[in-house]
Amino acid sequence: MKRSVIAVATALSLVLTASACGDSKPQKGGGTYTTIDGNHAIDAQAPINPYAGKGNAFNGYNAIPLGFRKNHMTDHNQHYPAIAESWQVNADQSEITIKIQPNAKWSDGTDVTADDIQVSAAVAFTQGGGVFQVTPGTTGALGELTIVDKKTVKFTQAAGARNNTFLFSVLSLWVLPKSVWGPQLPADFWDKVKLGGSADPAKADAAKAARDEISALGKKLIAFGPAKDVTAGPFVLESVNASEAILVKNTHYFNASKIGPEKVRLRNYTGNEQIWNYLTAGELDSAPFTATPTNVVEQILKVNGSKQLKGLSHVSGALAFNQKFEPFNKVEVRRALAYLIDRAQATKVGSPDSGKAAETTHGMIQEAAKSWIGEAELAKLNQYNLDKAKAETLLTQAGMTKKDGKWMLANGQPFSFKIQAPNGFSDWIATGSNIAKQLTEAGIAVEVQTSADFAVYQKEMAEGKYAVGFWLIALGPSTYNAYARLYGAANGWTAFGGKLTHAAPGEKGNWIGSPETATIEGAGTVNPGELTYQLSQLPVDQAKDTILKLAKYTNDQVPMIQIWNYVNVQFINESRYTNWPEANCECLRLSHGVWMQLGYIQPK
Amino acid sequence: MMTGFARRLAGHLTRGLVMIWVVTTFTFVLIRLMPGDPVQVQIERNIAMGMPPDQAEAAAAVTYGFVPHGPMWKQYLEYMGGILRFDLGVSVESQGVPVADRVLGAMPWTVVLVLTGILVSFLIGVVLGVIAAIKRSTVVGHSLSIAGSLLHGVPPFVIGIILAALFTRQWRLFPSGGVYNADEVAPGLYFDFIGNVLYHAALPAAAYALATYGGWLLAMRSSVASVLGDDFLLAAELRGLTSLTRFRYLARNAILPLFTVLAISFGLVFGGSIFIERIFNYPGLGMLLFSSIGSRDYSMMSGAFLMITVAVIVANILADLLYSAIDPRVRRQA
Repeated sequence: MKRSVIAVATALSLVLTASACGDSKPQKGGGTYTTIDGNHAIDAQAPINPYAGKGNAFNGYNAIPLGFRKNHMTDHNQHYPAIAESWQVNADQSEITIKIQPNAKWSDGTDVTADDIQVSAAVAFTQGGGVFQVTPGTTGALGELTIVDKKTVKFTQAAGARNNTFLFSVLSLWVLPKSVWGPQLPADFWDKVKLGGSADPAKADAAKAARDEISALGKKLIAFGPAKDVTAGPFVLESVNASEAILVKNTHYFNASKIGPEKVRLRNYTGNEQIWNYLTAGELDSAPFTATPTNVVEQILKVNGSKQLKGLSHVSGALAFNQKFEPFNKVEVRRALAYLIDRAQATKVGSPDSGKAAETTHGMIQEAAKSWIGEAELAKLNQYNLDKAKAETLLTQAGMTKKDGKWMLANGQPFSFKIQAPNGFSDWIATGSNIAKQLTEAGIAVEVQTSADFAVYQKEMAEGKYAVGFWLIALGPSTYNAYARLYGAANGWTAFGGKLTHAAPGEKGNWIGSPETATIEGAGTVNPGELTYQLSQLPVDQAKDTILKLAKYTNDQVPMIQIWNYVNVQFINESRYTNWPEANCECLRLSHGVWMQLGYIQPK
Repeated sequence: MMTGFARRLAGHLTRGLVMIWVVTTFTFVLIRLMPGDPVQVQIERNIAMGMPPDQAEAAAAVTYGFVPHGPMWKQYLEYMGGILRFDLGVSVESQGVPVADRVLGAMPWTVVLVLTGILVSFLIGVVLGVIAAIKRSTVVGHSLSIAGSLLHGVPPFVIGIILAALFTRQWRLFPSGGVYNADEVAPGLYFDFIGNVLYHAALPAAAYALATYGGWLLAMRSSVASVLGDDFLLAAELRGLTSLTRFRYLARNAILPLFTVLAISFGLVFGGSIFIERIFNYPGLGMLLFSSIGSRDYSMMSGAFLMITVAVIVANILADLLYSAIDPRVRRQA
């Protein structure tokens, strides 16, 4: 028995050694580029479908839209060409004419034509969202798609309420092959879309039936995918298993000469820790953004060839107040807390590498605010620099008193509260803990409380259960998107069919609970929900005055305290590839497949 | 007329089916009582990844169609009806993908990892346990017992983290994650592929084995120690039987209690090892379950729990039948 045990152990060792040696084969040509797709984990059973939650169609690799949105400071309509070579927009932005890349081909060698775009739009209607919505009265929906010629398509916005994200939404359309997706659609599909979008009361029943059919088709199509990948992108899916996907260079891609790597290996992940493990083991050529603790950054940078790419991120982390809870309904209290919190200290603890302390609160990231309203106007805003004396004055104005170093509410109870954060969000928890420490030292008893996970946190926040929690804001570059986080559904304002309505605090998802209007110095009486809605209508170059009013309102009323602005930090490894995007490249937030399409990432 | 074995088997199966129904019902209710909305979770995740809010909502909107709706009793009847047709429903997180497909896709990797870990830890634990018992008054015996106790008390994920830090980052002898390198090998029954799979499973399996061998060692040591004092061994020695024969008598009797536990352990294989799979990014059932809990994929959770329940109950039944097969005393009693 002893001999056979030794024999088995020896055989196993030989197998393992052979495999280990077999893993390090020399790079052929462009080699295999190893990275992570930051959009979702890999599911080997999922279809090759860009709409599926974990579909094996990877953005920028084998899933390609008409255009890729640039990370532009102020203009959300700036895009890199993808399948669309160019586009023309009419004066009121209601009509877009798109020219398809003349040499765009599918991986089976056939041309990409306007028919493919039409089928792609049809599939988009079944999935809903953006301008591809069938519900009558949807603001800014697609009204008509016209094939001008084999390589030209015109998109026309529906009559009625308009939306200035029309171009952005159209260019985000996933381009799908008619040969694969066309047979999945009924012959009368566009008739159904027209009927479903009809507001004619006489056709109400038929319209609803048509919408139900489209919705049912949407459920069917999201689970659909071809047996073999057919793509117009730079890579074709070769194989996928539970832990990675392998894509090979698409020789028919219209810009194949720009693509450096021969293959891409997308490794699976289900959490930031796994990305960090790959990086510290030196197993990735690059990784997308993750909020990385300082000690992990140090370990990653020790790996030979490792480097950080830092750039702009249109995201801010804010401390959000539910104004249904006293005393957060008092603006003096919110301002006082803004004066008491040292944002630099909190950011240093919570997000030392992937965050920068917010200069003040105005609803945008600082660079976007500078571009929109200018340094002079920014300087006029309240900077909420650390000022305990001012905070004390404000708290006293709010009816509080200080007793034995502790602040007491008007009813004699101690002023105390909990900052809610979801379990697993280490940067939010660390930031919250530091803020709690600062405020406790200032005489307000604060502690951090964690929700079981993000799903619970989400649900309970929307139900208005938390007095104070974390919320991501300033989601640009679209200022409408940025301010909608503050003055949209979460604060009671919803727009539908060109009509804006406001729900009272605590109703219909209004958990922020701000008053509908407030009088602001230099801006008059402001309804932030209306102004935000205006941003969705106004052309980008006419939005400045509205943005200034919203910035002033946000700075004055402090519905949330902006604590930190995220920095887009990505890791690259220069051992095998060179020619990386520069810091602050407008492509930084896009997938690395897009970087390759732009000519970056070439083998050494 | 049913034989004794057939009667026992029928009894086991009946009890097993009842237990499966009870556990399935319990987990069904518990899962649906969990707070959190899968659609909202997906929207906020999309936003956190940089998607504009309206695109994030659009991307998540179709998920709504896959979330079970309606009164709970109706959902329950539909779910139980599906089980009877061997239909576990479709995933919410990976919209439309059948739950059974996802479970069957993850299962082989869990089986490879946890089965390897169990077998290695069992073999090591049993062998070392015998040595520890025979040499129980010596330094060797004491050292083995102490080492086994210490490692048995260390949580598996701690061992996993240490192994990962040392062997994937410090010395880079093993990959930090994955099941095989798809750039090098394609699936098939041949040396390179099997070797690649074993190479990727080596570290997670070692973590599992190291964390659990201590239990087998201590149990075997205790069992051997108690059998060593039995008269039949003394009689065997007096009869002049060889030491190898006496060892076989000893081992066979001492290992009996461990077989039941081993059989039950095989059932628990299907639960995976969430911590070890997370640390080594090994896509087994444990990771699948973890991911589905985070995204409130009700169908996926129900399907995974059902799989684990059935596996444990079947393993229990097999353990019981196996025990009576290998222990003639139990057979005679029956």
